[in-house]
Amino acid sequence: MTDATYPQVRIVSERLMNPDTVEEVMNLIVATGGVRRIILNGPRLPATVPYGPAKGLPNPTSLRRAIKIGGQDVQLEVHVGTIVLELESRDFIPAIKDACEKGITKFPWYLQEGRYMKTEPSMVDYAKYGPDADKNIIGLSEPGKSGPVIIQGTK
Amino acid sequence: MAYKPQYGPGSTVVAENRRKYMDPSHKLEKVRDISDEDIVLLMGHRAPGAAYPTAHPPLAEQQEPDCPIRKMVTPTDGAKHGDRIRYIQFADSMFFAPTHPYERSYLEAYRYRGVDPGTLSGRQIVECRERDLEKYAKELVSTELFDSARTGIRGATVHGHSLRLAEDGMMFDMLQRCILDKKGNMVKYVKNQIGEPLDKEVKVGKPMDEKWLKAHTTIYHSLGGVAFRDDAEYVEYVQRIHSLRTKYGFMPLE
Repeated sequence: MTDATYPQVRIVSERLMNPDTVEEVMNLIVATGGVRRIILNGPRLPATVPYGPAKGLPNPTSLRRAIKIGGQDVQLEVHVGTIVLELESRDFIPAIKDACEKGITKFPWYLQEGRYMKTEPSMVDYAKYGPDADKNIIGLSEPGKSGPVIIQGTK
Repeated sequence: MAYKPQYGPGSTVVAENRRKYMDPSHKLEKVRDISDEDIVLLMGHRAPGAAYPTAHPPLAEQQEPDCPIRKMVTPTDGAKHGDRIRYIQFADSMFFAPTHPYERSYLEAYRYRGVDPGTLSGRQIVECRERDLEKYAKELVSTELFDSARTGIRGATVHGHSLRLAEDGMMFDMLQRCILDKKGNMVKYVKNQIGEPLDKEVKVGKPMDEKWLKAHTTIYHSLGGVAFRDDAEYVEYVQRIHSLRTKYGFMPLE
């Protein structure tokens, strides 16, 4: 799980961001070279209608699509409102702020430092994924489902 | 002296709007045109032009029991024809939507006959006979009670009331039932209220600007709007009710 020595930041925007904006800002953030892990968070956009009489019908929406981050295809499944990052060190925070300033221009946003990723698997995680689940991705994505996307770094 | 309802306390524009919408003598300002066919499409209960399915034979054709109440109360048009009970449900954004779930239930109870409004935290459903529903729904959508961006017609998967808005100012909708056409600045419904794709787009007018929304909203909002604490009269009233309710449990005397 998360090593306590790595700092984490959270970027919260005043509006939920369109895929184009997410793509733009994420590419700028990834280009700083100091990011270890990323979570794109927000309300879910299901592939099929989840409730009601139309349950199971396909749910076409322009917000749920694949974007390219650092040359890697990422399927968006949420309408992104919060970006959580784990960084190599605190020295990268000014560069991340610069990237956000360039990437999110149409509405305000703020950046906070704190602990935003799971540090220990919970009992529910144990029940869902068993004792041998990859602890590095619990809390970031669901092991066994689509799983995380690994963006190739420059190192 | 004849009873004159006061509808609600408060001295701010928000409180004034709440009273205005509830008061049946206030004529709601018409903001957009929407056809009967479009309302039927949005709700998705029957195909436009199809006959109304019935739940029982028309009242004129069935034997009514000898009941003084039935003699006193005139049935609504839908009840007379034996229509089914159908619904329309709205979600209102907390970012200055013109009305909100509780207000909707109050105003429907004051303004309409034969309705069964149901209030939930972020959405409000109203049920009544199909024929009456179409008439009421048309008023609810075409007047100042509705904003195309901040109000959603949502039968299921209603999440959005308390979420941040999208970049274009639309309330979050996981089914994206309506989209904003930026060229014409027009909101179009592409799915009906439960998320089934529509054969043709239904236009529900342009999103209102921030100034209009703040002048017409019934929602207190300390960030950018009228804060609830600034309405001394309202706070005093709510505190009085709270105090009386609490004390009543111990000693039912004031």
